[in-house]
Amino acid sequence: MSPINRRQFVVTGVGAVALSAAIFKSVQGWLGEAGQYLGTNLARPLHGPLTPPSAADLDPVAHLLNRFTFGAGPGDHARVSAMGAEAFLDKQFAPDTIDDAVCDRAIARFSEAWWEPLGEAYEEDDEALTPLLRRVTLLRAIYSKRQLLEVMCEFWSDHFNIDPGKGDCRFAKIDDDRNVVRAHALGNFRDMLRASALSPAMLWYLDGRANTRLTPEEKPNENYARELMELHTLGVHGGYTQEDVMEVARCLTGWTILAKKDDGFSGNLLSPMKDRAKVVFRKEAHDDGPKRVLGQDIPAGLGEADLDRVIDIVATHPSTARFLAGKLCARFIADEPPAAAVEAAEKGFTDSKGDIKTTLRALIATPEFQQSAGTKFKRPIHFIVSALRATNAQTDADRGILSYLERMGQVPFGYPTPDGYPVAAEAWHTTLLWRWKFALALSNNKIDGTSIQRDKLTNALGGDDALMATVLNRRGSEAESDAALQSGDRLALLLASPAFQHC
Amino acid sequence: MGTFGHLTQEQDDSRTLVVVFLRGAADGLTLVAPIADDDYHRLRPRLAVKASDAVPLDGTFGLHPKLAALEAAWKDGDLAIAHGAGGESDTRSHFEAQDLMEHGGPVAGGWLARFLRARGPVQSPLAAVALAPTLPASLSGAPSAAAFASLDEFSLMEGSEHLPHFPDQLRRLYEAEGPTMRAAAANTFEALRRIESIDRKASPGHGAEYDANDPFARGLRQIALLIKAKVGLDAASVDLGGWDSHFTQQTLLEPLMSRLGNGLAAFRQDLGPRMATTTVVVMTEFGRRVGENTAFGTDHGRGSAMFVLGGGTKGGQVLGGWPGLHPETLEGPGDLPVWNNYRNILAPILARHGTPDSLGEIFPDFSLNPVSL
Repeated sequence: MSPINRRQFVVTGVGAVALSAAIFKSVQGWLGEAGQYLGTNLARPLHGPLTPPSAADLDPVAHLLNRFTFGAGPGDHARVSAMGAEAFLDKQFAPDTIDDAVCDRAIARFSEAWWEPLGEAYEEDDEALTPLLRRVTLLRAIYSKRQLLEVMCEFWSDHFNIDPGKGDCRFAKIDDDRNVVRAHALGNFRDMLRASALSPAMLWYLDGRANTRLTPEEKPNENYARELMELHTLGVHGGYTQEDVMEVARCLTGWTILAKKDDGFSGNLLSPMKDRAKVVFRKEAHDDGPKRVLGQDIPAGLGEADLDRVIDIVATHPSTARFLAGKLCARFIADEPPAAAVEAAEKGFTDSKGDIKTTLRALIATPEFQQSAGTKFKRPIHFIVSALRATNAQTDADRGILSYLERMGQVPFGYPTPDGYPVAAEAWHTTLLWRWKFALALSNNKIDGTSIQRDKLTNALGGDDALMATVLNRRGSEAESDAALQSGDRLALLLASPAFQHC
Repeated sequence: MGTFGHLTQEQDDSRTLVVVFLRGAADGLTLVAPIADDDYHRLRPRLAVKASDAVPLDGTFGLHPKLAALEAAWKDGDLAIAHGAGGESDTRSHFEAQDLMEHGGPVAGGWLARFLRARGPVQSPLAAVALAPTLPASLSGAPSAAAFASLDEFSLMEGSEHLPHFPDQLRRLYEAEGPTMRAAAANTFEALRRIESIDRKASPGHGAEYDANDPFARGLRQIALLIKAKVGLDAASVDLGGWDSHFTQQTLLEPLMSRLGNGLAAFRQDLGPRMATTTVVVMTEFGRRVGENTAFGTDHGRGSAMFVLGGGTKGGQVLGGWPGLHPETLEGPGDLPVWNNYRNILAPILARHGTPDSLGEIFPDFSLNPVSL
């Protein structure tokens, strides 16, 4: 769905129920019922080839599905095997060419998520917006056919982490999600970095809006400048100095966002509602003297063009290619990524001038990627979503699901500090209890707002062994088969098993 | 300490922090009354706690008689009080003040969550719990935190008693894994075993009596059960709401104070020696105006009182003295000011609970001046 202006939306009439926060709240109960009508049959129809994987180990298609989707659903392995892994990747790297009507329908009713300009979002109930973004994000992860895009959106949401709990981020994170993360997730890194630097949510979250120099004595706010280099580009050991942090902060002075009332930072640029949170450059708050960033001179008098100079310098710095390659490999290959794979991804990034698709293709082509099948510990969101996908569940992705993510400490957009949710397995080992409980609850239809049809699924797949192979993405071992049988709840045991915790 | 040492070894030195949040802005001048201050009685002609009714603490203050259950802890040197306690928010808005206080400043994520992260990788699936329908903001961003109403929610087999073999079959698969997964599963099974071994019907320890009809007391009892079962509980949060006493303050506050005082006293008695490693902090978003309103109530103010109980607290003291209630010491429309920022009270407690070097991370952008507690 393309961005929509509130007034257009109202004029078309279909958005009448979403007119105001108060009405939104009052109709939430009604929406719960109507949702079954509006987004009916989100679970996929169980026809067509549903043949599960037959290999004893994860085959290359199963591995690809494990790492670059949120988990295989019934029939996915057969479908991708038939078209070939290369063709599948080509398609996934061109998400706009994938018809995603089911997912679009699932999220269409959350129209508040599309307000543009951002100022209009301020008319919404601020407490409703973040839960709404969480639901939309989970629904996409579960039902979108553009799976690689969704996986990468999760990666970049962590990389450019913003906690909507800080200040106006509760309004602006929705805009950041759309115009930074989703717009550039498979695009060019430099473009995404620039969009992030001028994202209202980022200007709030890392205090860029307060980075002013109105008098010669005023010290710039270094918060964003530091995280820009430490977390977004070069990495903490990437070779920048405190001097560089201060110089980058000077370059970015004057960029701020329009406020409703005088917040002390946006001057007298008070704005009508629709312009609220609009990003502006205040020349009088900019330090226009000469600067030197990472060994490169930036002459005096460039004004707002300082921003692009800084973005170019950090985006093309060799440490940035290395740092991003390392992060991608840690996410998609191993917590301690093999050096050879990092080098290959780094080369892909550098040669393509920061093209994210090329970088990912280089990573996927490494033998280290191919050899890493089944060794990554799924993070909680991945676990929950993959369980829902494997069981062809129908879900509203609301409190019933979120309460498990809270217990496991990975609510979407719930991480407080700018480094984003950790990737390494160690951070997540204590979540097993909640995974096991989730497995039992899902298998027995005891999650509010979520349902599966276990028998229908088993029959459609062709029996218990086929169900096991669909869930595990490979043939079950003798031990798994035996344990599943004796446990009294095959499906729950498989979802709780060590194999399903990994990808 | 190895990452997975916690639950598989019997460690008695682990500490638990219990945060009781009095939502609605509790009147510190009623909880801990400056009974020796004539201005107090003059400004609160109908609502002041009479000196003869109060439980005397020192020359200046007395506890409200409904909090008399806490007198023993005070006399044992186990209870400290900070008056003029609160945050920097002067909007007198419940939402904003609670939000700022639970986040620990204008930052994302909660202060309890940062405290838990500062302790390193969590050791237990039950490292943090909140007795609430959803997680409080103080735990937002925690490495693991469960909101719950009843201990039964932690059972693996809740509603699945017909699956007696499930845990053993699951255990069998995890035992065939590498050492890390094996240890993670062993830890989880151990936590489950300890929860399942809790006798929910057993009497509280040391003759303690909780009011079975009071949800606050029931919550404290569940927390005590988790502590005694050694499930690896690092932090717990429990709310007691309803303190917004704009009208007929006395009728509103007296039952709440009884619940607070009796609940905490029962908790302390129940835990007995384990109170040495358990700290309870009682806080509220702000206090009430000094002057009464016409409806026998008080309006939103600034400074209130905080209580710190157990965990090696240097008790028997009211921290930071008393500035008096002269017009020049009052703030804004006539409010007790804040001279004990809540972070300065929490800081020494968090230091004792394993994060002495991370206080600046837990409370960023604030110049800490920890009290001696």
